This record gives sequence, structure tokens and C-alpha cells, in this order.
Amino acid sequence: MDDIFVAVTGINASDNPAPGIGVARSLKGQNVKIAGLAYDAMEPGIYMDWLIDKSFLIPYPSAGSEALMERLLYIKQHFGMDVVVPTLDSELPFFIKYRSELEHHGIKTCLPSEEQFRLRSKDRLAAIAEQSGLQAPKQAIVTSYNELAKAVQEIGLPVMVKGTLYKAYRAYTLEEAMAYFGKIVAQWGYPVIIQQAVTGEEMNVIGVGDGAGNLPGRVAVKKMSVTELGKIWTGVTIQHPGLLEATQRFVATSRWRGAFEMECIVDQDTVYLIEINPRFPAWVYFATGVGINLPVMLLKLALGETVETAGEYQAGKLYIRYTDEQVCDMAHFQNIVTRGES
Amino acid sequence: MTNNRIARLAVNEEGFVFDPQTGESFTVNETGKTILKALIESKAQEGIAMKLTEQFNVSHQEAQTDVRDFLQHLRAYQLL
Repeated sequence: MDDIFVAVTGINASDNPAPGIGVARSLKGQNVKIAGLAYDAMEPGIYMDWLIDKSFLIPYPSAGSEALMERLLYIKQHFGMDVVVPTLDSELPFFIKYRSELEHHGIKTCLPSEEQFRLRSKDRLAAIAEQSGLQAPKQAIVTSYNELAKAVQEIGLPVMVKGTLYKAYRAYTLEEAMAYFGKIVAQWGYPVIIQQAVTGEEMNVIGVGDGAGNLPGRVAVKKMSVTELGKIWTGVTIQHPGLLEATQRFVATSRWRGAFEMECIVDQDTVYLIEINPRFPAWVYFATGVGINLPVMLLKLALGETVETAGEYQAGKLYIRYTDEQVCDMAHFQNIVTRGES
Repeated sequence: MTNNRIARLAVNEEGFVFDPQTGESFTVNETGKTILKALIESKAQEGIAMKLTEQFNVSHQEAQTDVRDFLQHLRAYQLL
């Protein structure tokens, strides 16, 4: 059987890791050749040649869709690209919008529809939580300091101050909330979400929906420790019936297609839905490690193959990140800088 | 006496306890392990105290106090 050429974005395995390396690691050994798509010559994935067969620089989404499409077609022509797996939030609108055009060029995807993508946006969280049988923290969308002050008064302190795509800060005073509001607006623009800060344990579920309401695989974890950036460092698999049933309902009602991560806060039997990310998290290999290979499921769905529902995983499996170093020849760096590929 | 959460706990021989629903883990001593295992088997409070009396060579009154204290701890951690 011929190799399948898969392009994966988000190969920045730094202290704020992107999901691409976890995806590549899960796909390795599956008769695939992996192209790593990077935005910067210093993204560590470029140098991890035991996982990434060839790396290419791609333009930032802000460079426009034409530039990115042109680059993808170049990579398709010169390396091969049967499937592309975008793993970063900021890329998804492009890949969802141009899914048909990519397909026309022989590049397949497994992504949510535009409607599904909008459905999980932070400003529509309460509706999706209700559909899934979950609680949603109180929240308000604000675009000015006046609206912020009003929202804080209504919701009550402390609050979470969040950007629509990135960043979330806990504020204990109105002044703190205003400072975080300014910081998010300066970096990511309007609007900003003010959300009730609920208490409990942070538990997440990741999975893949087949687009027909089925959930062939999912894994729930509890984060045991996180870095200063809030990234998981150690975690443990759990079997929380309420959380897993809600995940099933979310996929069944939304007919979700593709990868997702549900971020929840659990206080005994009350499960608050905090966020739904339309992609894998950086710790996706944890699921693979406990026998639920979600990236392989995603690849099969993209290729139009049938995906069997995975068996159950074991609760109590531990995930531990660690740091590593690598020494390699300067040629890798030279190639990626001068040619845009290595 | 037992609830589902207690029944789900995984307790190993060294007294390491893991709650698969919440991901919480903690350790208990020999006495705690005996009480927890008895609770998982749905034994009544009095029966557990008798078991402690036999196993640890303590007075029945002392065993009853230990069981009561331990149950209070479990309630504090919302396991009961």
C-alpha cells in the first residue's frame, strides 16, 4: 500500500506546546509520510526528523488566504499532501472556509462545518451546554470598560477575563479585570468575554466526531499539575460518567465532525462547560498512549474510511511531560531559513 | 452506608487509593485501608468496628471511635 502524505501544523513543541507533534507521534508507524508545517524556523518540530519527514514554512493566516493556498499547493506538488490536519485555532477559519477548494486539489480534511465552528464559540457556550446537559458559567461579551464594569457587577467577583480565541486571566478586583481587558484587546482585539469563575476540578475530554452524530473515541483526563502558562504537565485518565455522557450528547446533537476538546470544571456531580476547542490539545498523545488513537481516527475519517468505535480506556493512567534537548547540524536551520523547507 | 463513589475507589495493598471519577488519589494507613475495604464491601459501621477489634487488638470502644473518625474524614472529602 502506498504511503499517505499528511501535513500537520502546530509543530512548535515549546513551553507553550502546539498539538502537531502529538498528532505526528500518533500517526507515526501508520504508513504515513508527515510534512510539518511551521511558521518560524525555530519551531522544534522542524528538527524532530524521527517524527516529521519534511518541514515547510508557511505564511501566517494574516498574510491572506491566497498566499497560504499557494504554499499548500506547492507542498502538495513537491512532497505530497493527501490530508491536512490543522491544529491551531487561528488557522481553522481558513481551512474550514476553503475545505472544498482543498478537496478539489486532492487535499482532504476532517473538520467541523462553519455552523459547528460558530456553535462552539465562547459567546454561544450557554446554549451548547444546555443541549449537552451541562451547566455554563454566567458570562457577558464586552467591548468597552463601561460594559466590563457592568458585567463584573452582574456576575460578581472573581471573574475570568478571556479573549475569543486565546488568553484567559482570573481577576479578583474590577481594577484587575480592567487591566486584563486592556491586555487582551491590545493583543487579540475585541470582543472580550467576562465569565463567572466557577470552582472545582479542571477536567477535559478529547475526542473525534464522525459528522453523523457518532463518537468513535474519547478520553477524559484530570490535569494534576500545570505550568505557569496553564499547560498540562502531569495528568491522569478518569472515568467521570456525567462528563462522558455529556460529551456523547454534545457530539450527537451537534453532529460534530473532527477533533474537539471539551474543557470543564467539575464540582462533585455538577459539570460546568468552560470551553470547546475545535481541535486536538497538545497532550493528544496521552489518548494514544492509553489505546485511543484519535489522530488515526481523524485521518481515516478524512480519507472517507469507516472508523470503528474504540474500546474503553483505563482510568488511572498517568501522563508526565518532560523536557529534552537535541543537538543537530546547522544545515537544518540554514535550509529552512533560505529555502523555506528542510 | 456505602455510596457509589466509595464503591468505585481502587485501593491497593499499600494503602494507595485512587478515585477514577475525579482523578484524586490519597494514601491511608492499615486501619484506614481495612475500613475502606469494608465500606466497599458494604459492611455496616458496627461490623467494621468488630473487624478492627479482631485485626488490630484494640478495645471495641477504641475501634468504634476510629471508624467514626474515619467516616467523618470521608464525609469531609465528600466521599460519603
